[in-house]
Amino acid sequence: MHEASLALELLKITQGVLAEHGGSRILRVKVAVGELSAVEPELLRYAWEAVTLESPAQGSVLEVEFFPARQVCPTCGPVQRSPGSWLPLCVSCGAPLRVEGGDELDLLEVEFDVNGEKS
Amino acid sequence: MSQTADVRMQILEANRKAAEALRRRFSQEKTLVVNLISSPGAGKTTLLEATVARLAGKLRTAVLVGDIATERDADRIRRLGLPAYQILTGGACHLDARQVEGALARAGFGALDMLFIENVGNLICPTSYDLGEDFKVVLLSLTEGDDKPFKYPAIFTKASVAVLTKVDLQNIVDFDVEAVETQIRTLNPQAQVFRVSAKTGEGMEAWCRTLELALAAKRA
Repeated sequence: MHEASLALELLKITQGVLAEHGGSRILRVKVAVGELSAVEPELLRYAWEAVTLESPAQGSVLEVEFFPARQVCPTCGPVQRSPGSWLPLCVSCGAPLRVEGGDELDLLEVEFDVNGEKS
Repeated sequence: MSQTADVRMQILEANRKAAEALRRRFSQEKTLVVNLISSPGAGKTTLLEATVARLAGKLRTAVLVGDIATERDADRIRRLGLPAYQILTGGACHLDARQVEGALARAGFGALDMLFIENVGNLICPTSYDLGEDFKVVLLSLTEGDDKPFKYPAIFTKASVAVLTKVDLQNIVDFDVEAVETQIRTLNPQAQVFRVSAKTGEGMEAWCRTLELALAAKRA
């Protein structure tokens, strides 16, 4: 639901990056979205399309890299799980598991045109 | 010719900075700040009414409350003779740190022992926005169904306290309290879980004691 406000923040930051590097047009933006970031990659892409209209990022590609959360046993290390399912306890030793990562919501890369020409 | 810049920063960097400034301020002022998150109707305002009424006389408390529209929730706290300030988000589904900063400047609460931030009723979006709080509290009412922690895992991994509200309805609704507590502990083994009814007072003492202990720890 807050994908639009995230897309606006992203536009502000990427325009800053563009200005800093003297670029003319944003071609591709790569972001990291974690399983626990409460963000739907598809909706973020739609929001990006909408907020970039009439901006130097219009028509740019938003690439989303998805990061699942990990469940980690304090003695046995990371355990196997598939996104969306959770193991109550470690399958090997029965200890409670910590949830780690999956809260990524980061800008990774910005690809842009210099001199107004597309390569 | 195209170039690629390696950036690696949080998308919510601006919010993170504002939240850090708030956290420094709350730490200097030694105010305990709690961010309450739940779906609409889980009982955030009702729990806060009962909580601040219990703490009144002992501690200076205030409530910042976010809603899309109306002053109703702030009015309910003010009716108790206690300070509250309503943040109207005008459609936004969460509070952000800059709104909290602005609201504090306008509210003029003065020195506080505890500040409660009642977020917009939503189990999803408020999870991503740090407000400079000491900890998040997630509320889940017995009428919402006992599958919610696994359906909305993000908030249950991030909230260090979970309050199951409306437990006076336990014999009326089909809600497996133990199963829910297992789900919460699966997502967050360190979480403290309380069973509370603001209506009957059940569990209120333990919940308020936890708040007072957290305040004492912050001041130690």
